[in-house]
Amino acid sequence: MKKRGFGYGCIFYGTGYGNGFPDISRSIAELDTKGHINIYVGATEVGQGAKTILGQIAAEALDVPVEIVTLIHEDTSITPDAGTAAASRQTYNTGNAVKISAEELKKEIIVVAKGLLNEDHLEISNGVIRSNTSDKTLTLKDIAEASGGGFLRKDGIFQANTTEMDPETGQGNPYWPYTINAYAVEVEVDTTTGIVDIIRAACSQDVGRAINPSLVEGQIDGGFAMGLGYAIFEDINLDKGRIKHNRFTNYLIPTALDMPEIEKIIVEDPESTGPFGAKGIGEPVMIAAAPAILNAIYDAVGVRLTEIPVTPEKLLKALKKREG
Amino acid sequence: MDIKNVFQAKDVPEAINLLDQYGEAAKVIAGGTDIIIALRENHVKVSVLVDISSIKELKEIKTSDDWVEMGAAVTFTEVMDYFKGHKEYSGLIEAASLVGSPQIRNAATIGGNICNASPAADFVPPLLALDAVLTVEGKEGKREVRLEDFLLDKGRVDLNKGELLTTIKFIRLRKGQTVTFSKLGLRKALAISRLSTAVYLEIDDDEKCAEVRVASGSIGKHGLRERVAEESLKGKNLDKAAIDEASKVLSNEVEKRLAGRSSCEFKKDAVEGIFLKAVEKAMVHNGDGSYCAMGTQYYPRAAGKE
Repeated sequence: MKKRGFGYGCIFYGTGYGNGFPDISRSIAELDTKGHINIYVGATEVGQGAKTILGQIAAEALDVPVEIVTLIHEDTSITPDAGTAAASRQTYNTGNAVKISAEELKKEIIVVAKGLLNEDHLEISNGVIRSNTSDKTLTLKDIAEASGGGFLRKDGIFQANTTEMDPETGQGNPYWPYTINAYAVEVEVDTTTGIVDIIRAACSQDVGRAINPSLVEGQIDGGFAMGLGYAIFEDINLDKGRIKHNRFTNYLIPTALDMPEIEKIIVEDPESTGPFGAKGIGEPVMIAAAPAILNAIYDAVGVRLTEIPVTPEKLLKALKKREG
Repeated sequence: MDIKNVFQAKDVPEAINLLDQYGEAAKVIAGGTDIIIALRENHVKVSVLVDISSIKELKEIKTSDDWVEMGAAVTFTEVMDYFKGHKEYSGLIEAASLVGSPQIRNAATIGGNICNASPAADFVPPLLALDAVLTVEGKEGKREVRLEDFLLDKGRVDLNKGELLTTIKFIRLRKGQTVTFSKLGLRKALAISRLSTAVYLEIDDDEKCAEVRVASGSIGKHGLRERVAEESLKGKNLDKAAIDEASKVLSNEVEKRLAGRSSCEFKKDAVEGIFLKAVEKAMVHNGDGSYCAMGTQYYPRAAGKE
């Protein structure tokens, strides 16, 4: 018999290294001889979209078209350290460092422009330096040439604001910031075979500010897939310390056919210390998926499973045990 | 992997000559989805591969008045295309569609699935349920062998030195006849079967089960006919009680067969659900309490595209 059920899971998650550990990102923003912007940053793109959004953050901070921003990363000989692509920290930490370096570069560009135009009230708008009091304009290329054909370079450094917990009082500031989300999942359990089918899911994700909504949605799909594998497929099958499921033939991860449609609800509540309000979501989008699936299985068949993955074998056994 | 020569045979006699010439040193390659992995992992050690994937006569499916005949090098994608829309053959379509992934189905062949002789081979149970007959060709000539007799053990088939499996045939389905398949894989694609059953069902005009053949995968050394389940259903009205009883009989049989194995407890229970699904797929309830075999209502459309 097929039985359906709903389940929810919700979490809050502190992003970054936390607990006072030095969580530092560095960035260099540069105006090159062609009038283009280069961002040097040690952040690693692992598919999460750092390469895209760090360029967006620089373009937004400078008010230049994103097309003239080049991100130079993952090359330790020419980029400053931006920490690991871990702890859901690149958007927040490195995003802040990139923003600071871009803002510093912007100030420097304005200083050079003031000298060239003899004007005090200047701003950059869509890649062009304009005067607020006259029609005078300059291009970024003009600035690059005026600064001796060399490069204008500015550093940005950002450190997350956390402190170690006081072991006596339990007080402190262990993480900054926190990210919150909730998953809803509908499953169908075949009580004759123990197979769990995920019918549909919804994810409500607090992102602070979505720098790139499509990438947020991609992160949710990816996170749910990992949570789904964690909940019902992935089993390393340890036997006296040996991993028996040591290949993807038997260590099963979800395929596209196993993924349901996920309704994504992006909640924007800007984080005051984040770059344009953004926070990290990489790990959070995974964490609540498995609990929601296990809750949905419970709702469907009334059996509370406390061990993952919930394979057909385990589920069928639990169903039989309940029947006595 | 230490392959010295790969020969691309242009016809069956050439392939047989090569197999005869190189003997133990040679293996057949068609889609390569099993043997390449076996070679890489040193499970198979040969120095010569005889590629049969471009032998035209092994890549055809033909439907005559009495028989449907498929070449051994037909791929699963080709099986799915050929039988598309013919619900009486849904078991063949479904089993083919559950093999690996689209890339694997484009390359892997039905002959390879049989000769690799994995207990989990997806395409074997529906062919057993259709009581398929194989043609094997060698230096000495042709011989025919029933699939059930061809499967000897896990990984072992009745193929002598220099012999090649060339065709797989079964009696064309008529009014009231159908074959279905049901598989338990641990995910929806790229899943090795944990358990599968196929059912051939013939329902007569009195809605009685005139003939039934049940086959299974992954609950024995190779795909098996499940005769106790067949006996339990034969001649009966296919009501819930009769079908439930047959599934219990099958479950008991599986329990006996797998006794002492860690998978026994799960498989003896799950086989009931998988068997029920295959039987249900084979029957169409007409809405007035009566039923007929799947595909019957589409009859007399000719099978295949001749």
